[in-house]
Amino acid sequence: MTVQLQGSGYESARCWARRLKTSVASWLIVLCSCVVAADDIDFSRQIAPIIEQHCIRCHSPENRKGDISLATSEDLQSNEYVISGDPDGSYLIELITSQNVQPPAMPQKQEPLSDNEVDLLRQWIGQGAKWPENVVIKEKAKADASWWSYQPLNVATRSESPSSQGLESESPATIDAFICEKLAKHNLKKCPPADRRTLIRRLSFDLHGLPPTPEEVEAFIEDSDPHAYENLVDRMLASPRYGERFAQHWLDLAHYADTHGYERDQRRNNAWRYRDYVIRAFNEDRPYNRFLQEQIAGDVLWPDEQQAVIATGFLAAGPWDFVGQVETKSPELQRSARSLDLDDMATQVMTATMAMTINCARCHDHKLDPISQREYYQLRAVFAGIKREDRVVSDQSLKQHQKLEQDLIARRNQLDFEKGRLEGEGLNLADIVGGGNGHGTGTYRNAIDPRNAKVQTRDFGNLGNVVTNSFSPSAFEFVDGVFIPNGENGAASIPVSSTGLTITGLPTTSGNAWDMIRNGPVASQHSPELDGIDFTKDGHSLLGLHANAGITFDLAAMHDAVRLPESNAEKSPDSESPATLRFTANVGYFGAEGENFADAWVFVDGRKVFEFRKLRRADGLQKIDIEISATNRFLTLVSTDGGNGYGMDQIGFGDPQVKLAAPPALTDEVHNRLAEIKAQREQIEKEIAALGPPPRFYGVVAEQTIPEVKLLTRGNPESPTGDALPPAALSTLAMLDAELGTLETIEGERRAALARWITHPDNPLVRRVIVNRLWQWHFGTGLVDTPSDFGYGGGRPSHPELLDWLADELARRNWSLKAMHRLIVTSDTYKQVSTVGEPRALKVDPTKIDADNRLLWRQNPRRIEAEAIRDSVLSVSGKLNPERGGPGFEDFEYQDAYAPIYTYITADEPELWRRSIYRYRVRTTPDRFLTTFDCPDPANLTPQRLTTTTPLQSLALYNNDFMLRQARYFAERLEREVGNDSNAQVQRAFELAFGRHPTPQETSLSTDFVDKQGLFTFCRSLFNANEFLYVD
Amino acid sequence: MSTNMLSSRRQFLQTAAGGLGGLALTSMLNGECLAQPHHAPKAKRVIQIFCPGGMSQVDTFDYKPELERRNGTPFDPEGTLQFFASKPGNCRGSHWKFRQHGQSGLWMSDLFPRLATCIDDMAFIYSMHSKTALHGPACFMMNTGYTLPGFPSMGSWVTYGLGSEAEDLPAFVVLPDPRGLPPGGVINWGSGFLPAQFQATTLDTSNVRQPIADLFPPEEFAEATTEADRAGLEFLAELNGLHQETRSQNSELEARIKAYEMAARLQLSAPELTDLSKESTATKQLYNVDHAEIGPFGRQCLLARRLVQRGVRFVQIYCGAENTTAKKIRPNWDSHEDLTRDHGYWGTVLDNGAAALLTDLKRQGMLDDTLVICTTEFGRQPGAQGGEGKGRDHNAGAFTAWLAGGGIKGGFGYGATDELGFKAVEHPTYCYDLHATALHLLGIDHTRLTYYHNGIERRLTDVHGHLIEEIVA
Repeated sequence: MTVQLQGSGYESARCWARRLKTSVASWLIVLCSCVVAADDIDFSRQIAPIIEQHCIRCHSPENRKGDISLATSEDLQSNEYVISGDPDGSYLIELITSQNVQPPAMPQKQEPLSDNEVDLLRQWIGQGAKWPENVVIKEKAKADASWWSYQPLNVATRSESPSSQGLESESPATIDAFICEKLAKHNLKKCPPADRRTLIRRLSFDLHGLPPTPEEVEAFIEDSDPHAYENLVDRMLASPRYGERFAQHWLDLAHYADTHGYERDQRRNNAWRYRDYVIRAFNEDRPYNRFLQEQIAGDVLWPDEQQAVIATGFLAAGPWDFVGQVETKSPELQRSARSLDLDDMATQVMTATMAMTINCARCHDHKLDPISQREYYQLRAVFAGIKREDRVVSDQSLKQHQKLEQDLIARRNQLDFEKGRLEGEGLNLADIVGGGNGHGTGTYRNAIDPRNAKVQTRDFGNLGNVVTNSFSPSAFEFVDGVFIPNGENGAASIPVSSTGLTITGLPTTSGNAWDMIRNGPVASQHSPELDGIDFTKDGHSLLGLHANAGITFDLAAMHDAVRLPESNAEKSPDSESPATLRFTANVGYFGAEGENFADAWVFVDGRKVFEFRKLRRADGLQKIDIEISATNRFLTLVSTDGGNGYGMDQIGFGDPQVKLAAPPALTDEVHNRLAEIKAQREQIEKEIAALGPPPRFYGVVAEQTIPEVKLLTRGNPESPTGDALPPAALSTLAMLDAELGTLETIEGERRAALARWITHPDNPLVRRVIVNRLWQWHFGTGLVDTPSDFGYGGGRPSHPELLDWLADELARRNWSLKAMHRLIVTSDTYKQVSTVGEPRALKVDPTKIDADNRLLWRQNPRRIEAEAIRDSVLSVSGKLNPERGGPGFEDFEYQDAYAPIYTYITADEPELWRRSIYRYRVRTTPDRFLTTFDCPDPANLTPQRLTTTTPLQSLALYNNDFMLRQARYFAERLEREVGNDSNAQVQRAFELAFGRHPTPQETSLSTDFVDKQGLFTFCRSLFNANEFLYVD
Repeated sequence: MSTNMLSSRRQFLQTAAGGLGGLALTSMLNGECLAQPHHAPKAKRVIQIFCPGGMSQVDTFDYKPELERRNGTPFDPEGTLQFFASKPGNCRGSHWKFRQHGQSGLWMSDLFPRLATCIDDMAFIYSMHSKTALHGPACFMMNTGYTLPGFPSMGSWVTYGLGSEAEDLPAFVVLPDPRGLPPGGVINWGSGFLPAQFQATTLDTSNVRQPIADLFPPEEFAEATTEADRAGLEFLAELNGLHQETRSQNSELEARIKAYEMAARLQLSAPELTDLSKESTATKQLYNVDHAEIGPFGRQCLLARRLVQRGVRFVQIYCGAENTTAKKIRPNWDSHEDLTRDHGYWGTVLDNGAAALLTDLKRQGMLDDTLVICTTEFGRQPGAQGGEGKGRDHNAGAFTAWLAGGGIKGGFGYGATDELGFKAVEHPTYCYDLHATALHLLGIDHTRLTYYHNGIERRLTDVHGHLIEEIVA
């Protein structure tokens, strides 16, 4: 409020003005009081709306323009702008009334208050300026429940005869009738339909994201069936290419990717099942209401249907911050990350299905739409009980799969075991840690928890709930148990076996532990390599033993396992004496160089047999070779942190083996048996491979209890206020019941209730939103041009009646999206030409009246999207690999590290030539080629692709390695198909790339070019042509 | 505001964006001209140095004698605090001695002997803080104003607002650390929901032949000779010309044709840019470009100067990479275990490059209208981390940023942390104010640079941000 900053000269003028005003005003009030003085002013009804409308936007507790808030009675008292009982002396009145012929100082940049409003305020002040306790004035949203998109569908009965002249339609209402009616109002007319060649190319890119083949083009042109076009549409909708195309649109809305994103952008190797679900749902034309229900609560509503369960991958599709949610020790940072996680989930569901921008109500009531902050948090309460995780499709399917797999593995293990014994091969301790029998049956990177000896399959960081010097027995045959040591400066007596054996003499440790005892490197291990050996490769193995941890192996059980078979043992010269074993390994510090070190120890029956203190990376590998007698019972491996904290202390035992001291000799009989084993084993391996991975997907799982959801003041997770909130939807949709349950409602029922609310037949938004999206996907722009915002901040429908009619048709057609596609693409509106050549013989130039073509007097020409460019290149070169579904192809080299590194390679083999929908999407390192062509960042919910034109696109198309290789394949294809005649090559090239024959001018130009520059350069230019990237 | 006004504003901005952005698109769309800035700018261009990992304020710019005094005493006697990865250890004074420098007498530690000679050109914001102590989200926040991924970076916003002055170079160029990408990857300089023409172009200076991706065909394509390249482009222009004859209304087609001409220009300008042979020996020595350790960052700084000299609007240089690529020292400022080792290394790197850059810009008369910003994503704890107390944990509560040139008041300090450097207490400043101030210096009112996305007119500064008038000259 700048007036306050003025100097004293202004002050005196102000006083003078006030005095002048007083006499006039008091006279006025006498007059007015005749009319209303009898009634007391009702603050809530008469005063609050004035403040709400004119003042609160700038003078709220959040904004405090001029350091003034008008939200509460305390605010009013503190600013002293109102003197109770004295309207004339109240500065507030002065501010809102005209002074010295100047407009009122307040409200700034807006219409002044009406005389009536000013009078009401005066009376209120005159009556004592009473402000009821606890009344807080909040800024009102721009739109209220009467906003157009919240109203029931308005589908008027259309007249039997089409209103627009020249229209030959049989149905009472058609898309064309709506469009023509509006065009006529603007003195515009539709353009004529495009020719068949243009139509099939348009349809093919629209419905499949691929160019039509020359054969398809010719067949369609030759087709004499009067329903040739409709038949073509049906064929295209029936093709699996349709689902592959439309799934991408939906995945844009779900901001789907195959990694977590954020700092440690780890893999989501099972996310693809949701991607495949979406493709399948489109191809099978899953009714749209069911499609939404499955994605929000399929696991609750149809727990026995695999596809419905996988559909909930929708809720987990967005980014997820591992460091914030799991790795950090700070609970405050964890709450912050979780809060944003829930915001992401709720926002995605509400914008994708209903185009309601609820996320704007995270910190305050929505400023434009009637969505309160409380309602926002009630929506979050729907999702508060779930978290994103890799999960099984169903326990039943997993059990079935596991049973099959376990049977096979057990048979294989039996064979391996026998083989090992026959060959006198030792037992690998890393394999044993991974759950194996010591002969390679363990699972790489499976692990034993040093806290409790449980089997763990995922990565951990710092371990909580650590109890040091406590022994936990293991269920594994060869493992006695585990412990986390703290030597307490040699004093502690640390139990290391199930028989009560203890060790002493270990140093003091931090008592902390990181990750598990692993078959392989530990979580975030700096490197699996030491002294030039990568222990994850070439038959090497690694027992990862990050400090502080200890593990004891059962030597007695091992003795039994490696003892020679009787027949073989007889020939051993030492057969009378018990077999003597050796323990061999290469231990080392696998953490980074520098001031990092730890201690490694080996004990046999509690007696120290190996010790290396302050072992560093620079010390390299330390060879261990220890004799073990038949009477020895326990072998214990220990790592301690060296006294400088456990950071980086990645102790590892490379190739750890317990084997016979003297290897046996092999007889012919043994050789034969080994050959048999080999054959049987290969057969089993084949069966295991055929079984595939267990049906897991990246989705959501329920938390054990639903954390309380409260309104967070200003969205700050550290400022919860008020009561715990039950789940609820949005009350502004008056035709629906917003209640979704109580505080006691269980997790799954909350989501099921929201799914029902969203897909309720009376919900007017869901159908409007999806038919608008379909419209946008076919015309480039929706009837509402903000497809994920149907609120005040969004666009208004260009054809509201058409929008509602389409929404109504969707329900009438059983929510079938394919039926809606058919309806739209068979309309004359869709089939119009997009090119405006010579100015047509019209009184008006449509480009002057409606340059943006919102009225659709023609079709919109469009550049194809990033994925369609890549797929078209592959299609035209003949290299497109049509294989469908399954894990994504990876056109990058993957390097496992703290934050994994994804380095792109040129896609130059069939596996990488699959359609772009099947690529493995990395959030932090997106495919540069696609990004250049406006492929969106999957951090964002993207309702509409942008189209830019940049020189970097030119460079990518012209020089990128992939593009040049594909140009070469295109040239090879031409030579293969039509030989060396440049004229024939040019003909075929135009048919493949543009779906048409070249004109005589183009033929001579191109043939000449091929003859001079060669076919490769010609093909390269075609891939860069405007016609290749644009659809008429 | 009425509905129509909202939508027409959006249309205006988006049309304007189409006309302004990216690689000198000005010449592409006939009749469009650069939009007027909101007010007279003091800076025409920005060079931002980003030090990922979290630079310690108490060892560099923020002098805390009280911390020194309490050396070795418990930082958190009650043991109530829990930092990102640890509980606080004892107070640990600066690992380097602080001295006063220049006319201004501001303090700087001995980690930056060369930068200290520039102190009278620098303004320090001692009271920076962040909303998170996680590298990824904090880097996003510093670059985009949001802890979530997917928002446009400051460079994208500036390019969106002002377009480019360069005729044949991108408007927004990023020089990542030669060791790799920063935490969170390339989306640190992404354009988020802004059109792709506003995303940064990455300059890979280790690739002499192709500093910009796909600038030339790969060498193994023998068929793609220079002559064939040119002939192919001529043929393409003819094909496009014929195609356009019946589609004259579609201006995108014309823009694509122009884009190929621009690309050809870039093929000449980019190699010229990265070729340092024309720079004098004295200049190369100033930046120590041949030094094995500090040379690579020095080179990046010299390139930044060459870029802005050629009209590039926004250059971002990274001084540090992601934690992944660890060798014997940390690959960025994230000094949990050994601050002397890691800050010691990176401090020398930054000192050389940044001091050379400021000196060089001044010598060339460019410092006055080039805004130099140096930031990190958060600071470090005054209490030590680790058994031996040699490291420091993350601290979102306080860090220092500095600015120079481009309308900045030199030799000035703004805001303050508490006596230990733990929390910003005087003028606590989020990135919003820094961004608002940078935009102001460029002639942009941060509240009026907006872009509609999913329901909101988005801004770089969200709903926050105030110009820091004190640091403006």
